[in-house]
Amino acid sequence: MKRTNDFVVGLTILLGTLTIVGTTLWVKQTDLRNKHERITARFRDVGSVRVGAAVVLRGVNAGRVQRIELGRDGWVEVTMALDPSVPLPTNPVVLLNESSLFGEWQATITEESAIPRDEAISRQIADARKGAGEALPGATLPDIAQLTAVAGRIAGDVASVASRVEVAFDDQAARELRGSIKNFATLSAALAQTVRVQSSNLDKLSADMRLGMNRLAGSAETVQRVAERIDSSTATGEVRRIVSDVAIAAAQLKEASEEVRTMSKQLGRSQGRLESLLSSTDSVMDKINAGQGSVGLLVNDPRLYRNSDSLVTELRSLVQDFKANPKKYVNVRVF
Amino acid sequence: MIAAIGRTFREGVEEVGRAGGFVAESAGASRDMRTWLPLVTMHARMLGVDSLPIALFIALFTGIVLALLASYSITGAVPLYFVGTLVEKTITMELAPVLTGLALAGRVGANIAAELGTMRVTEQIDALETLSYDPYAYLVVPRVIAGTAMFPIVVGLAMVVGIAAGWGASIVLLDLSSPDFVKGLRLFFSAFDVRYGLVKSASFGAAVTLIGCMTGMRANGGAQGVGQAATRAVVYSAITILVLDAFWATVWLLGKSR
Repeated sequence: MKRTNDFVVGLTILLGTLTIVGTTLWVKQTDLRNKHERITARFRDVGSVRVGAAVVLRGVNAGRVQRIELGRDGWVEVTMALDPSVPLPTNPVVLLNESSLFGEWQATITEESAIPRDEAISRQIADARKGAGEALPGATLPDIAQLTAVAGRIAGDVASVASRVEVAFDDQAARELRGSIKNFATLSAALAQTVRVQSSNLDKLSADMRLGMNRLAGSAETVQRVAERIDSSTATGEVRRIVSDVAIAAAQLKEASEEVRTMSKQLGRSQGRLESLLSSTDSVMDKINAGQGSVGLLVNDPRLYRNSDSLVTELRSLVQDFKANPKKYVNVRVF
Repeated sequence: MIAAIGRTFREGVEEVGRAGGFVAESAGASRDMRTWLPLVTMHARMLGVDSLPIALFIALFTGIVLALLASYSITGAVPLYFVGTLVEKTITMELAPVLTGLALAGRVGANIAAELGTMRVTEQIDALETLSYDPYAYLVVPRVIAGTAMFPIVVGLAMVVGIAAGWGASIVLLDLSSPDFVKGLRLFFSAFDVRYGLVKSASFGAAVTLIGCMTGMRANGGAQGVGQAATRAVVYSAITILVLDAFWATVWLLGKSR
């Protein structure tokens, strides 16, 4: 009986110990045969990577993180046990990143040319490469907490801008702006009509004045010729005086015609400016009426305002929900 | 009333003192290896090996229910493979040690208390003392050592069976594939989980056997006294297991998480 007890107890202890140890080693994926290839990479910071974390190569699990230890000059050296049959890419680098939203991290081996185009990551890789020796250069990608913090800041900024827009551009302001634009359009149309009428009148006046001046100049020349003939045919002082007076009158008429001509030129320049102003105004109004540009969309498409208002409401709701339930978006811990 | 309070306090202190004295006597008797060593395997078989069926039965159904509860609790954004994580953590660190401990408190603690209580009321223990046998070395030490050694074995096997049962339930009853369950199982697994559960169960084994021996050896008054001793052994053992559970969580887990 005593020997039976010894045997049964011994067998139970042996089997129990083997079962527990074997199960633990299987779950931990411990490499008892030590057939894995070991590769070391170095980082400034390893984030939340732990021993046993997966090592991924081209999206496939190719090994596990075996050891993490502090190295010289502020480096952290991570030793990975990889399947020796898996060839490494040319010019390999190691990126530490989150593999899910639940705090799992992994080491990803990839080609340097395939790393994300980020200045900080490139700087980390270049820094780790200096004097690395056999170790692969590594970089740590930002975790979800850091990304969430940045997103939170952006959301706060957007909410701030949206609240300012909301304060500055309320319903009343939109109505007033719309009314102002309509008034401006009406005014512009009336002004254009007025300028068109006045321009026509000015053209006609200018033509009439030019014709009058030409006739005046012709008359003056005729009078002068007559006077000269009279002067030459008569020698009396009276005729000469009359002719002289007529010459003075003609000269004064000429001066008057010069002044009218100057005035006509000025009117012509004014007309040109007014035409330029009107064409610019017409272009702007055409764009607004066609719904082009921000003001055009604002005047013709009420959805813009409704979308802006809806965006502000949703952003506020998102920020409030984020503040109230940060665990809903970030850092779910099961244990 | 004041006298009652004082009396209760004095009796509490006396109880603690007697328990301390009992533990000290048992520790002193452990030097007498020639007396207790031949008896250890017999008690190890009775307390440990014979307790395996009930412990594994409890673990089997605990694993199944836990997998179903985990899948029920996991909704929305949390992936279903976390069932494996929950089953592993809960079974290994808490349910296997505590439920097995409570079950063995009823089976082993009551058994020891009744056995030693009967020996006490029938004056067999007095006879041992008359024959110059140290009753602590002969009756207490082999049981405590057997219980302390065998509880971790029983609990360890219960862990394996519980996780296997959860695994099977996840595949058969839930929409979860075997690789997914294993992924969740390995996700946050640490050898510390197993170590924590086994050390805790060893302390439960020592507590249950010590309490069973103490209540049994202090039994008096015939069959009724033996029954009371068995009841006290089960109640005290269950309370002590829960207190020790909280103690280990506070000392070990709290220190580890900081």
